[in-house]
Parts: sequence; C-alpha cells; structure tokens
Amino acid sequence: MPQDPEATEISFDGSTTELDALQRAVYAVADLMTVDIRASGTDYICALFPRRSGLDQDTLKHRIRAEVTDQSLRLRIARETEPIRNLIFALAFSETGLADSGKPDE
Amino acid sequence: MNLRLLRDATAMPPSGWQLLPMRFHRFDSDSVLLTNLVGEHLFVPQDQFLAVIDGTCDDQELLARLRARHLIQRPGDRLPAELLAIKLRTRLRHLPDSTGLHIFVVTLRCEHTCRYCQVSRQSSARSEFDMSQETARRALALAFRSPSPHLKFEFQGGEPLLNFPLLRWIVREANRINQDHGKDLAFVIATNLALLDDEILRFCAEEDVHISTSLDGPADLHNHNRRRPGQDSWQKTVAGIRLVQGRLGPGRVSALMTTTEASLDRARDIIDTYAELGLRNVFLRPISPYGFALRPRGGAGYDVDRWLRFYEAGLDYIIDLNRGGLPMVESYAAIIARKMFSNQDPGYVDLTSPAGIGLGALVYNYDGDVYASDEGRMLAEMNDHTFRLGNVATSSYEDILLNEKLLQPLAESYTLSAPMCHSCAFEPYCGADPVFHHATAGDFVGHKATSAFCRRNMGIFKALLRRAREDKFTRELFWRWGQR
Repeated sequence: MPQDPEATEISFDGSTTELDALQRAVYAVADLMTVDIRASGTDYICALFPRRSGLDQDTLKHRIRAEVTDQSLRLRIARETEPIRNLIFALAFSETGLADSGKPDE
Repeated sequence: MNLRLLRDATAMPPSGWQLLPMRFHRFDSDSVLLTNLVGEHLFVPQDQFLAVIDGTCDDQELLARLRARHLIQRPGDRLPAELLAIKLRTRLRHLPDSTGLHIFVVTLRCEHTCRYCQVSRQSSARSEFDMSQETARRALALAFRSPSPHLKFEFQGGEPLLNFPLLRWIVREANRINQDHGKDLAFVIATNLALLDDEILRFCAEEDVHISTSLDGPADLHNHNRRRPGQDSWQKTVAGIRLVQGRLGPGRVSALMTTTEASLDRARDIIDTYAELGLRNVFLRPISPYGFALRPRGGAGYDVDRWLRFYEAGLDYIIDLNRGGLPMVESYAAIIARKMFSNQDPGYVDLTSPAGIGLGALVYNYDGDVYASDEGRMLAEMNDHTFRLGNVATSSYEDILLNEKLLQPLAESYTLSAPMCHSCAFEPYCGADPVFHHATAGDFVGHKATSAFCRRNMGIFKALLRRAREDKFTRELFWRWGQR
C-alpha cells in the first residue's frame, strides 16, 4: 500500500489487460493522478496518487478503470484495422511523388 | 416495394462487416463520437457502440450510416479504401507546396505600448531596429525559393508603416522578381493604422495590398489594451478602417482581436463593434503565452475554462446574428469547419500537422534572423532562440529548411505519432504546435493530458460539434463556413 494517505490501489488482471493499454490509460489520466504500475504474479497492481487534494479514491478508481477499458478498445480497433489503414496510406501516397526521393531535379 | 428490396439488398448480417480505421470519443452520457481517417464523423448511441465493434449490431439504419461515413465496410469491398485514400491525399495536398507565408518584420519600432505585445517595443526614433534593404533583398531571394505557387508577404513590426519606404520597395521588388516566376503573390500589412495617410492608401490601391489591423472591441476595451500617447488608438484604428473601406473597398481590410482578462465578459460588445464597422469576420483569439504577455499586467491571467466560456458566448452570439440575417463569421470556427465538413485542410499554421512552422510560414526578422514562426520570433525576444533557423546573410535555403532545429520539432510533434494525439477522435481537426508546447511544457510535444492547447482545442471541437448536432440552422451555417 502506498504511504500517501490519499493514495489508493487497484489491480488489473494481466490475462485480460495489456500493459500497453494500462500505460496509455495512465498517460491519459495524468491531469488527475500519477500512477505506479508493478507486476504481481499475473496481475498489475496500480498505486494511484491524486494530483490534488479532495479527489476521492473511488473517483480515481472509476476514472482509471474506464480509461483502461477505452484504451484496450482502441488497441483492439487499431489492430483489427491496421492492414486496411496501411493500404489506404499506400494508396494515398502512391501518386504524390513524395516517396520518390531518388529522382533528380528537372 | 422498391424500398423493401433496397433494404434487403443492403442489410448486413451479424459480423457481416469489417471495421475501417476509426477513433472514438465518449462525447456525453448517451453517445460516442466516431471519426474516420479524414475526419468524417458520426454520433453512435453508447449502447450500440460496442455492438458495432463486436459485430453484433442489428440496427440496419445505423449500419448504413456507418458505411456511408466509411467507418465500416463489407468484407472484400475495395471502394471505401480508394475513396479514403483520395480524400486523405486531398487533405495533404498542400504539403509539397511549402512555404506559402513569408513574414517580414520591417521594423521593431512602434508608437503603441500594448499590454500584451510579445516583442520589444522600441522607440519610434531608433532606426537601428529597422530592416535594411540588403536584408530584405536576401529574404526575398529565399522566399522565392519556396515551391509554393502562392506566396503571401506579410509585413509586421513593431509598426511596419514606420518603415514604409522599405515596405514599398519590397512589394515592388517582389513583383519585379516574380516576372520570372509567375507565382500568385499577395501582400498584407499588419498595422495599427495610426500612421495611415494618402500616400500609403494610394500605394495599397496600386499594388493590391491588403490591410490587417488589430481591433480588440469597443473603445474603452481597445484603449485599455492598446495604449498610445493620447489614448486614442481605437479612434485612429476605426478611422483607418473606414478610410480603407471607402478608398480600397470593404474587403480590403480585416481585423484581429486579442482576448485579455478585460475582454472575458465583453464578447457581445466586441462582436457588435465589428458588425457596426461592416467587418464580417471576427477571430476570437486567446492571448499567446509568450513574452511580455506573461507579465502581471499583460492580460494573460485567465485559464482555458474561462476562455472557453468567452469563446462559446461569442460563438452563440454570432450564430444568433446569422439567424437574424447578419452574415458574421467566427474565423477559427470556420477554419475548423473546413476540416470537419469538407475534405480540405486550410493549412492554418497553428492548427495543422505536420506543424505549420517553417512549412507554412517563415519569419524574416529586422536583423536578418530567420524564424520558423512568429511565435518563435517572440520567444527569441525573451532570449530563447530555439526556433531561429539561420540568418539571411549567411544561410542558404537548404540550411534553413533542412535545419535540425526545424526538422526535429516537426518530427516529434507530428500528431499521428504523438502520444494520445494518434488515437484521438479529434486528430483530423487538430494540429501540432511545437512552439506552444516548448514555451509552456519545455519540449515540442507537451503532455497532452495537461496541455492547455489540447484542452482549448478539444473544448472548441466539442462546442462546434454539439451545436451542429443539436440545431439544423447551425449545422448548415458551419457547413457553409467550411466551404468558403
């Protein structure tokens, strides 16, 4: 348990939550709290430290949980759509000449 | 019968669609905003959002709208990817044509002492703060190296009319050089208009020069912010605006305002002042957090939330004026509307990615130093030379445009790779501002969760989308602004 009396802990199941999603969520909530992440067995234990006094611990926990859910969803969408995203970018830049750096000036 | 056939033919079974690249934002308690790669957007009910992602949604009308916005497609479809690629290319087509805006600081001298002025105010008598003709000649040579077919030359200061002979020489010399280039040239003088006279007006008429001035609102507010001997800045500015409108035409003068603490409860007064003068565009601008503006009396003592309340009050008033038949435009909303409701990117320097520094604008200071943006020059006035790219006397075009001091902030701040930006639903409407983040956070990216730039712009995007969603008149108004 963290020493700060206003801090609290929350754990995430490592078999259902990616570390990447957790780290992205921690970045996104940095206006409200800073977070220590440590691995414990198959879980991630997160110590939540409020940025300012008066933020209750339940609020911090709800916020980080909601953010982790959304970041996991974003990762899932990004993975699912990566091939077509690459295709769209390839098509978009295929006729611009921007990638043709070896062409001498005319 | 036909409708039934059409519905049957387009109906999608569960898991009968593929997701296209999309980003989402939980907009309110009922809905999620989805945007595709180019910013086309759709609001989806919270309870349907996961069903769309999971492939279990059976709301055929919603699925049809998602398809129309290129957020999902049938497996094997080819057309959505091709259309998205064309739209993406259209949005980025301004990139190979850098640099369009060339700012000449022809003097640092000024007879105003504005509260929020970000650069050194030098006495009107000290000509050592004037740009020389040789410096201007070298700067012009650099400007004409830009591949852009459109070059805009903007004259700034200080008060640029204090060095009118050089300004006139630059315009004529640029036109002479352009006989060999055939570019589309435009000239703008950013002036407080206090020194406007017949000679200058005749010159502007002959050379098709536009005037951009500063007007902070009604007389008491403007004169509070923009001080000069006699406390008559507003009177001189208004007289100058009327003179330009009368002699050159109403479209030849525009104005910008800067929001200080004293402006925050005066949105209507400010907009009414513009309307009474026949100025149809109002640009509700927050103060830039640079230089002297940060002093206690500089006027920057308000936070993003207060500024957003001011902005939304102003925006609502402008919408109401339009509803009543007066065609006013809020310029920043119009820039964003273009990104939201068309496939064009206006390339506005402060709201584009890659950032507009260097690629969108170059600044030639009075002493020949070249900066990546006007804000970069302002930082230099406070002895921060991070965005100084060279000097016209010693640097080549390649030295300036390939300078690591330009390339590094461009690369680091690019929104498709910056933390949080790359997965943000508002990214297609937003931009990278490495100068702002350098000034406020100490690096080119900043921390997006605490960035005032991010908070302010997200607040504006939401304000625009909320109003467009709730009111047909406003939606059509924003759409028209986006097509300008």
